[in-house]
Amino acid sequence: MEGWVIAIIKVVFIWAWVLLIATVMTWVERRGAAMMQDRLGPNRAGPFGLFQPLADGIKLFTKEEVLPKKAHKVLWSLGPLLFALPAFSAYAVMPFGDKIVLGGKEIILQVSNVNIGFLYILAIGSLAVYGIVLGGWGSNNKFSILGGLRSTAQLISYEVPLGLALLAIVFVYGTFSLRDIALAQQGTFLGFLPNWGIFKQPLGFILFMVAIYAEANRVPFDLPEAESEIVAGYHTEYGSMELGLYLFGEYVNLVTLSSLIVVLYFGAWHIPYIDVSKFLGPVSWGIVSFLIFYLKVSFFLWLFVWVRWTIPRFRYDQVMGLGWKALIPLALFNLFITALFIQLAA
Amino acid sequence: MDWYFWIFAVIAVLAGIFTVTTREALSSAMGLLTVFIAHAALYLHLHAPLVAIFQVSIYAGAILVLIVFVIMLLMAPEERAGVIQANVSFRSFGVLLGLCLVGLVAVGVKSIAVLIARRSLPDGFGSPSVLGDAFFRDYLLHFEVVSVLLLVALIAAIYLCKKRAWKH
Repeated sequence: MEGWVIAIIKVVFIWAWVLLIATVMTWVERRGAAMMQDRLGPNRAGPFGLFQPLADGIKLFTKEEVLPKKAHKVLWSLGPLLFALPAFSAYAVMPFGDKIVLGGKEIILQVSNVNIGFLYILAIGSLAVYGIVLGGWGSNNKFSILGGLRSTAQLISYEVPLGLALLAIVFVYGTFSLRDIALAQQGTFLGFLPNWGIFKQPLGFILFMVAIYAEANRVPFDLPEAESEIVAGYHTEYGSMELGLYLFGEYVNLVTLSSLIVVLYFGAWHIPYIDVSKFLGPVSWGIVSFLIFYLKVSFFLWLFVWVRWTIPRFRYDQVMGLGWKALIPLALFNLFITALFIQLAA
Repeated sequence: MDWYFWIFAVIAVLAGIFTVTTREALSSAMGLLTVFIAHAALYLHLHAPLVAIFQVSIYAGAILVLIVFVIMLLMAPEERAGVIQANVSFRSFGVLLGLCLVGLVAVGVKSIAVLIARRSLPDGFGSPSVLGDAFFRDYLLHFEVVSVLLLVALIAAIYLCKKRAWKH
């Protein structure tokens, strides 16, 4: 019974927290874009325009829902749902802090510590494409279909290097559990480097980074919704909260992917050289580890915005060429080198 | 009464029927997606989480996405598939394959008493490491033979496509 209550509290808490971050991210994106383009951005609603996401939400919810005449009704309305569902469920296996001890009971800060943790995230992530496909196809609009078509090919191509980069991580840590990977990154490596994934998998990190930008449909890989070529791609016909689900789901994905980077390559809640847990009580360490984790996550969230307003979009054949001719061979090479090192070290 | 099994088994069968009866290509693909996910849920129930995850990430996340890609590339949303396959040899071949499947099911039903008998699971059943040991130690030869078979199929597919391209 007690276990159930704790599990439900964890689910509700992390769900609300991720939604909060995603909401704030929409504001960060707009203000960040404005900053980089030397303009002000939304600054009217509340201090620094912080209530802008709230205003956007109210606007999207109260807008009229328009169903295009020739759209396929069922597929059209399933699209945003199938896009948002995987985005919201991927966080179930993500650790978000070390552990907290309340009343002599140890609670790990992770909804579910399953031993196939990140295979689950990969599997759920690979389902997100159906939301885009159904949206594009159901709209029955040339631009939407082109967007959906681009999305399928792109996601399939970049899932391969992503999976191979993750496989190299499994080689290094010998486990699929995200919490075990996070715990293994404490202390130092070779005597002076922090024991983080990025120092053991530098090439793997670069591959992973590029692949997740493509998986998240972010610039420079936002071909499925390239507004200069195909209007808005798969969500051209959507309005009101259905569009809202697409846009918001993307930000939830960003939070998940940034958390994944931090867990796999940047030591999760560990700070290099200092074991903070020794100086703090069990409760305060739980809270501090949570804060450290999200401090790191917020950097990678900012990186997504930073890259978006800095780098121009690729051409479509360049995206495919990069995926198949550069990333996949490099990922295989990385796998080979990693296996060699592990064999020699053993 | 095993409710978990019945719920997902019924979903899988209904979605399967929908897949083969609907005339819209993408709706059919979505029916197949439902079948795959219902199967994954059943694998979870059988203490095989890794197989369930592979079912989702490989079948639903990769193979079906390729099928959907081809549908989107070659068809328009308002297009419908013809009601009945016109080619007689295709139809008779379909009947033959269907009969083979019925035969397989019959063989399976014969030994059902052995399959449904309760027994305790070995330690670490269905975990990634046990599955890896099975593939790469106990059944390595079989595994490699299957991968060579896939390679042959791949080369054949490329050859068939290229032959047409070379003629032009």
